[in-house]
Amino acid sequence: MVWPANDPPCSLTDPLSIADLARRVEAVLFVASRPVPATEVAQACTADQAVAERALALLAEEFAETRHGFELREVAGGFTFVVARDCEAAVEAFAGARRPDDLSPALMETLSVVAYLQPTTRAEVARVRGVSSEWALGSLEERGLVEECGRADAPGSPILFGTTARFLTLFGLRSLGDLPPLEGFAPSADDVEELRDRLVAHADRRRP
Amino acid sequence: MSARGLRAGELVVDLDVFHGPFDLLVTLVLREEVDLWEVSVSHIIADYVVRLADSQEFDLEATSQFVVLVAALLEMKSRLLLDLDELGGGDEVTVEEAGEELLAALVRYQQHRSAGDWLKARWAENAARIYRQAPLPARFRCADAGAERLPAAMLATALAPLLREPPLPDASHITDVALTLLVELRRLRSLLASDGGFTFLSVAPRDRLEKAVTFFALLELHNRGEVRLHQSRAFADITVTAVHAEAALTG
Repeated sequence: MVWPANDPPCSLTDPLSIADLARRVEAVLFVASRPVPATEVAQACTADQAVAERALALLAEEFAETRHGFELREVAGGFTFVVARDCEAAVEAFAGARRPDDLSPALMETLSVVAYLQPTTRAEVARVRGVSSEWALGSLEERGLVEECGRADAPGSPILFGTTARFLTLFGLRSLGDLPPLEGFAPSADDVEELRDRLVAHADRRRP
Repeated sequence: MSARGLRAGELVVDLDVFHGPFDLLVTLVLREEVDLWEVSVSHIIADYVVRLADSQEFDLEATSQFVVLVAALLEMKSRLLLDLDELGGGDEVTVEEAGEELLAALVRYQQHRSAGDWLKARWAENAARIYRQAPLPARFRCADAGAERLPAAMLATALAPLLREPPLPDASHITDVALTLLVELRRLRSLLASDGGFTFLSVAPRDRLEKAVTFFALLELHNRGEVRLHQSRAFADITVTAVHAEAALTG
């Protein structure tokens, strides 16, 4: 969306200027129906990105917890307003908002495979989990957490799956970069050794 | 009178990907016509145990046959956990290599399971947050058509094809199944009457679907006690003998 470019350019060092820009940013975020990236905010307010980010930081301070009924939050690649925690009950009573249904451990596992390996195929998810994942992927698609994002360049052209913007929003992530490294979830060396010993013991018991 | 237990062919399996006799399912899995990932072995075992309890008869041979088939399915499924292409092929994999590959698969699974627990904590903290979701004000939703307006006639010409009925899709390449179960039953009975017996491969059509119909017909004849089936070894050709022909031979 292109806005009329008739506002004067904003100075990084002038506090009045930053405060005025913050008001314009607040107005843009007020009418936006989705999280707005800093680049779009800067373009809409005809400001440099660095200046726009200063204004966003000022706004975030202004809307910090307990000072207003909502806060400014960066999620799913942009900035948006979110109801303050202690005001959620009132909003739910007014609007009848329902918390999304919780996900089962199987769905969380499947979601973690897609989130870390995307774009990935149904067969790859099944190979990691050791069970068929068709139902789990279908359920996650219905909830808007994963989506088809093309086809693999492999025999049969299997469908590729990836996470959605809704996934980032519901898990409070700014981007996929906010996911902790998968290596951090690896079992310890002692646990791996114990697992190896159990496999060997099991194989020995089965030998004739 | 001898006990007649629940044979594998009598167990009708009802899965999302297959409905029919269990031994036919095993055949289709071996021929890779049914994806083994989609087969719930625990579901099959549970069904068999319930049917066995209901029948109140136990036949060691029949149950042993079922256990052998289920064990074969489980072994095949466990092999799917190993990336045999990376290991250089199924027959050349040593026990140690298979063990290390299985360990790597288990570690990989454990990582994702732990990552799932991390996601669960994030969900508990964030899923209930209420974000601004109001739609854009109506006047901002109208797109500017541009400085030049489109002539109405041009717009009508562009939209007209959308109003036409699309042609019916050509389905001439899809042929009906020529062979029905009843027709095949008649054919097999005719062969049994004239020759007293045959082998499955010698009478089965080349088409896979028709071959399956022939197999179903064979199972039906067996269930009715009209034929005896014999296989010299696993996955070999099946010899079919008419029961009345056997009776004539034995006097």
